[in-house]
Amino acid sequence: MLKIDKLVKAYQFRRETVPVLHNISLEVPRGKIFGFLGANGAGKTTTIKVIVDLLFADSGTIMIDNLPHSSIKAKRLIGFMPEQPQFYHHLSAREVLLFVGELFELDPKTVETKAKNLLRQVGLADAENTVVRRFSKGMHQRLAFAVALMNDPKLLIMDEPLDGLDPLGRLDFKRLFLEQKKLGTTIFLSSHILSDVEEICDEVAIINKGQIVKQGTPQKLRGTYPTLEEYFVSTVQKQ
Amino acid sequence: MKLNGSIIKSIAINTFRETVRDKLLYSLLGFAVLTIAASLLAGSVSLGQDARVIQNFGITALLVFLLIITIFIGTQLVYREVERKTIYLTLSKPLTRESFYLGKYIGLCLTIAVCALVMGVVFLAVLRWKTGQFSTPVIWATSFVILEAWLLTAVGLLFSSFTSALASAVYTFGIVLIGHSATTIWILSQKSQGILRYVLEMVYYLFPNLEKFNLRNEIVYNFQPDLQQVLLVVAYFIAYTAAVLLAGLAIFRRDEF
Ligand SMILES: Nc1ncnc2c1ncn2[C@@H]1O[C@H](COP(=O)(O)OP(=O)(O)OP(=O)(O)O)[C@@H](O)[C@H]1O
Ligand SMILES: [Mg+2]
Repeated sequence: MLKIDKLVKAYQFRRETVPVLHNISLEVPRGKIFGFLGANGAGKTTTIKVIVDLLFADSGTIMIDNLPHSSIKAKRLIGFMPEQPQFYHHLSAREVLLFVGELFELDPKTVETKAKNLLRQVGLADAENTVVRRFSKGMHQRLAFAVALMNDPKLLIMDEPLDGLDPLGRLDFKRLFLEQKKLGTTIFLSSHILSDVEEICDEVAIINKGQIVKQGTPQKLRGTYPTLEEYFVSTVQKQ
Repeated sequence: MKLNGSIIKSIAINTFRETVRDKLLYSLLGFAVLTIAASLLAGSVSLGQDARVIQNFGITALLVFLLIITIFIGTQLVYREVERKTIYLTLSKPLTRESFYLGKYIGLCLTIAVCALVMGVVFLAVLRWKTGQFSTPVIWATSFVILEAWLLTAVGLLFSSFTSALASAVYTFGIVLIGHSATTIWILSQKSQGILRYVLEMVYYLFPNLEKFNLRNEIVYNFQPDLQQVLLVVAYFIAYTAAVLLAGLAIFRRDEF
């Protein structure tokens, strides 16, 4: 569903070139929940921003359902939830979703009910007409998830989607992820919370200092370690 | 260049909505309306003041406030979009950066037109109430001021595509000053020699000649612009603005967020 091949990316910072991604290659199989793991600063957000075309790769290719990732057709397939999502302060939750519906050129007749349903699903039914300015961190996160689902995506790309949620919210979200998976959606998510990852992901890749160091099922990677977390710590420390 | 009409419309409307829900815009506009009204009222009280001179003052106040609003929304709003990362929401969707940029531009132009309309209506109403006459030259002058503001909006967007909000505002203001000194710069260049003459001529041709949009003297003599003048100014506006928008777009296409 998502295929990244030899992705290289450096930031230009104060006239210096800071290499961040060295030759990232990975493949996310259709219909699976794929965890993208790495320590702070490993390059998760950078990779995700390149996928959704906010940053440009220096070299390498990214294909989404066999389409070049920056094509309009590929972007129609993506639902994207950024790290620490933000919205236009002047809009209400409902208006945000309607605007997103317009950007996807969805049928105006169905958009209204769709927005309502999604807000209910993510637990924002009561905040439908509240302006986003008054939202708490967790509410932002919930609205961002609704935004990502607005176009019935085939590929959900989420950067630390469980960040900022209380335990109940995390539980809610994990249930929603599994529901999406049942519908056939492929999910690519980054996270530090390894117990959650271990619980819901079918496959994971570990990125360290801009390189993929391991990819496989959580069980396979963990091997003899009692938890994925302990395996992760030992792998990253070895590097 | 791939443009999508319905996307451009959505982004324009959202941009417009963002500005008209901004409290600062209301304060600016309220202050502008008060100043224009007060200047007209005070002016006609003081004896011996010619109504046309007051009109000139009114249109100047309108211009100044509209330019403040233009610089404010043209540079701050785009910056805010990047700063608050709302740009992630839009740019990751199936639309081209061209559509996004043009949508922003049109939305800002819409806001500017509405602000000018509000100020212009107040201006005409007070004038009518004070002098009992309706001034067509004021309508022409206001329309030209709107064109000038629209041109400068494109300039503000261009700066925003590669520098900070404050720098963009300062540079745009610099363009306003240079643009209104176009005639002086031309006269200076013709009086200069050698390299200086060359540089001044370059400045004259490169920067927008904002004096082309100035109809304040016409108001004083109650002249109306003829068709040829109007067409020339509109053509100048379109050519210059299109060039600036294309330049901004060339940078924005490669911007990373
Ligand atoms: N705009 C930028 N300019 C220069 N360097 C940057 C920029 N953004 C990120 N970096 C650097 O790139 C590296 C990778 O950052 P990235 O945000 O991709 O990490 P991450 O894996 O998402 O981390 P986290 O878990 O903290 O979100 C870091 O070393 C960071 O300092
Ligand atoms: Mg990150």
